[in-house]
This record gives sequence, C-alpha cells and structure tokens, in this order.
Amino acid sequence: MKLARIRYFARLAGSSLMLVFVVLLIMFVLLEVAPGDPIQALVGNMPVTDAFREQMTRAYGLDRSLAERFLAYLGNILTGNLGVSFANKEPVIDLIVDRLGNTMILMLPALVLSSVGGIVLGAIAARTRSRLLDGFISSVAVAGFSIPSFWLALLLIMLFSVTLGWLPSQGMNSFTKTGVSLQYLILPVLSLTMGELAFKTRIMRSSMIEVLGQDYIDTARSKGLSSFQILRKHGLLNSMLPMVSVIGYSLGFMLAGSVLVEKVFGWPGMGLLLYDSIKRSENLVVMGILLIATLIIVIVNILTEFVYEMVDPRIRARNKAARDGVAL
Amino acid sequence: MTALASKQESDGKGYDRPPTPIGQFLRLTSTRVYLAVLALMAAFSFLGPFFVPSPINTDFPVLLPPQLGHPAGTDFLGRDFLAQLMVGGQVSLFVGLAVGVICLTLAVVVGGLAGFFGGFLDQALSKISEFFQVIPAIILALVAVSMLGANLPIVILILSLTMWPQVARIVRAECMRVSQLGYVESSKAAGFSPVRILWSDVLPNAFAPVLVATTMTVGRAILVESGLAFLGLGDADRPSWGALLNSAQSYIQTAWWLTLLPGFAIFVVVLSANMLGDRLNDSLNPSLSKVK
Repeated sequence: MKLARIRYFARLAGSSLMLVFVVLLIMFVLLEVAPGDPIQALVGNMPVTDAFREQMTRAYGLDRSLAERFLAYLGNILTGNLGVSFANKEPVIDLIVDRLGNTMILMLPALVLSSVGGIVLGAIAARTRSRLLDGFISSVAVAGFSIPSFWLALLLIMLFSVTLGWLPSQGMNSFTKTGVSLQYLILPVLSLTMGELAFKTRIMRSSMIEVLGQDYIDTARSKGLSSFQILRKHGLLNSMLPMVSVIGYSLGFMLAGSVLVEKVFGWPGMGLLLYDSIKRSENLVVMGILLIATLIIVIVNILTEFVYEMVDPRIRARNKAARDGVAL
Repeated sequence: MTALASKQESDGKGYDRPPTPIGQFLRLTSTRVYLAVLALMAAFSFLGPFFVPSPINTDFPVLLPPQLGHPAGTDFLGRDFLAQLMVGGQVSLFVGLAVGVICLTLAVVVGGLAGFFGGFLDQALSKISEFFQVIPAIILALVAVSMLGANLPIVILILSLTMWPQVARIVRAECMRVSQLGYVESSKAAGFSPVRILWSDVLPNAFAPVLVATTMTVGRAILVESGLAFLGLGDADRPSWGALLNSAQSYIQTAWWLTLLPGFAIFVVVLSANMLGDRLNDSLNPSLSKVK
C-alpha cells in the first residue's frame, strides 16, 4: 500500500509539473504574438546602428525560432538560470529572490489572520441562534470580497495616514532604517487579509452548517453531550476540512492580490517587481515571476493534498479505494 | 403569498404548483432591491450623461469638492467628476456584461456537451478548469493584457478565457444530474436526437445554478477589470472606474472624492451581483440556509 501512495503523489507531482509547463508555454506564445520589440525597449528612443541591434538580438537569442528558445529556456530553468534582466543586467532569479521575502512578510500574517479569523467567524455564524448575528456576519462577508482590495487600501491610507496621521502609507520602513517595522506592515496586511477573511468565513459557515446537520451530531446530542462539547469534539474539526484546501488555494489568490496591494503601498515585494517589469517590458523577469509564483502555488497544493490525507481517514480511504480501483 | 395565489388564479389551474426556485428567488424582497440597484447603476451610467456637462469639458475650477453644481466635485483639470463616473460606469458595466455573456455561451456549449456526452471533452474540460482553479485569473490577465495591448476587446476576451471554466463546470455538473432524471430517459426512449434532448430537456432544467455562477462571474469580471485599469492596464481611450482610481492616486491627500466615489461604485455593483448570486444559491440549496 505504501507503494500505491507514493505512486499517487508521484502522479500528483507529474500533473503539477505539466501545469507549470503549460503556464510557461502560454507565456512564450503570448510573447511571440505580442506587439512591440524588446530590443527597441532596451535601446530606448535614440536609434542605434543595425550592427549593434543584430548583436543584441543574437546575444539574447532572439534570432532563433520560438521552439528553440522555449527548449533553451526550459533547459536553463533546470539549472536555476532564469535569464538576465535587460535593464540592470542582474540575473532574474536574484531579482526575484530579493523580493520574494518581502512579499512573504505581507502574505504570511495575512494568511494566518484570514484563516484563523475565517474559522472563528464562520463557526460563530453557523452556530449562533441569533439570525441577526448570522445575517450580519454573512452579509459583511459578501461585502468583504466585493470590495476591490486596492480601493480598501486607498481608503485605509486616507483614514489612517492622511486624516489621522497614525500610520505610514508608503514603503517598509523609514529611510534611515533597514528591515520592516510593524507600523508599516499594518495597513498592507489588513488590505490583503480582508477579501480572504470574507471568503474563508463563508466557506467555514456552510461547511459547519452541513456538518451540524449530520447524524453523528444527533447521536452525540442524544448521548447528552453539551453543545460546546459537540462543537469541540465533532463539529469544529470536521468542518475545518474544506478549509485545508481553501487555505491552499488562497495562497495563489493572495500572491495575485499582492500585486495591487504592493503597488498602492509601494511595498518592494514580488508583486511590485511584476508591475515594474511589465511597465518596462522586462519579459524575462515577468516570466520568471510567473514561474516562481506557479511553482509556489503548485507545491502548496501538493502539501495541501498531503495534509488532507494525513488528517482525514475518509480521504485516505477514498484515495486508497481509487488506487485499488474500488468504487466507494 | 398573495402574489403567488393571484398568479395561480390567473393561470386558471386548480392545483397547487410548488413554487420554482427561480420564482421563489424573484419574490424575495432582497432580490428585488439588488436588481433595482443594478438597474439604477445602469441608468446612471447610460442615461445620466444626458443630464450633466461633457466629461471632457475643462471649464470649471479644478479640484472642487462635491457641491450643488457638481455633486461629485471636479477633477485636477476642472472636469465634472459626476460625468466621468457615468462614463466610467459604462465601461465597467459593459465589461462585466460582455464577459458574463461570453462565459455563459462558452460554458453552455462546452459544459453541456461534456456533461451530456462525457468522454474526451469532459476530461479536457476538467483539466482546463483545474488549471484556472490553481492559477489565479488576475495574474494571467495582468501578464496577457500587458503583452497583447490594453484595449477593451482584448481585456474582455482575456477575462472571458480565464473565467468561463468555472461556469462550465457547473453547467456540466447540472447536465449530468438532469440527464439521470426520468423525463430525459423518456425523451431518449422517444427517439429524440441527443442535441435536441440537451437543448430542450436538459439545459432549461440546469439553468438556475448556471445563472448563479454567471451572476458572480459578472461581479468578478468587473472587479478584475478595475484592478487591471487601476494598474494602468485598461483601455486608455475608455477609462473605467478602475482607471479613475488610478488617476486619483496622486490627489489622495487633497481630493478624497476622486478616490472614494469610483471605488464605491465598483463596490456597490459587485456587491449587488454577489448578493444576487448568494440569494439565488439559497433558494436553490435550502439545505445551506439554517433550519432551526
């Protein structure tokens, strides 16, 4: 059985690699059909000699066919080489790694806050006898993911930076220091958290309502357990299961959302790098960021599946049945 | 209740028909409120321009706060901001609607065929929708729009391409469910062609959840477009609400209305679309609303 399990995760890894491959392929095709000339972007408005232009074209491999360049790129990736930035001649991988940490500083607190908050609020909404409280939490949750994250960010800046003057609105720290200070972190994390918190609250709520309708909850109640005990022993853990995959997926959405939030707050993370690179037609950097983001998302999804199997015997049984070819 | 009773009387039928989910949905007060809000926003955007100065008229004082002659103030060049909000609304709403229609069409064709026939198409659809479930639409849209050029048809096309699989998955699931029902079986027995069964028996009965998914897609499209436009990747000739927010950024210290109003417009429209989808969902899955 161990072998079947390894085979299962190997297949998962295989389809994930396929997904990364498809993202890169789409990017390459987009680059090919895109109007605009990267060499032109490099040299600027002042013309250069044709000889120099040809030399640059060759240097960046732009004289070769699409398929050749794609294969070469794939080969380079395997050695950790994502190319060199046109503008400042730095390796793309270094540029991204520099910024990735800053993005994580925003994302991890937002991930934790939205997950914990979503579980708590969702459980309260599902469990409360007050229709008003449930209605309130549910409506605020829908509102929460209808708010454009960047607009929320702008509103927070208007309130806390412009009007009240309590919190800074730009960057990670004052110019004199390095690293991050907490007061610079609050507003961007809040902007990034809101939508995810709302989404997770809703998922948790419906999951918990479903669990509380199950027969084993009735059984527990008839055994004389208090509603708190039922919630603690049977309700909470079972209804948190869908949250595992939601938390996995939310990482991808937060990576996407961080582009907007980092832009508003001038936060020097991967999202801002993506924005700047798009503006400067730095296609290799754009591609590199997309590759790294996809890799992160894919790895988290595999981990999610792994956690799922570990915590839930039902999933284990289902996957095992699928491997053994038994219909459950 | 009275509405239901009078409707049955006018039908002239003697038996109690169970209310359909859609019928129930349309009778909810909250549903009517959200529909009315959307209608109002559409009227504001498309009829409003007849009643205000031209949005490109720079004759007014610059950065006037909202006041009697200019309910939404003026911008940094002295243009009436209410007029800009209306024109921006046209773009935002049009994008949402166009993406919704394209997604619905693609979803009905691909999802319907996949759900009804299964096979290769079904597998392909499940792979494609898995792909877009994992890779966030906005990142792909961001990169694609920046490379292909930011104009309205391209933005609509790319948003549709990234968003249709979610709707298609629901069409597929519904078609599979409905195909198992007795009346489809009897249509098969009667010898109708599969396409005709799909069109006249399966799809109409799979319609309601598909409507939920489409409504939410419209909201999401407006939201993602506003994000793209905010980053300066919208159609430069047709500024949407997101684009208005982009230019408002430089005046965030002085002109609060330039930031507050376009964002609020986006929020109201997306919220109404999501609330509609939510209510429709509730009428379709009574199990998810609490029974006490």
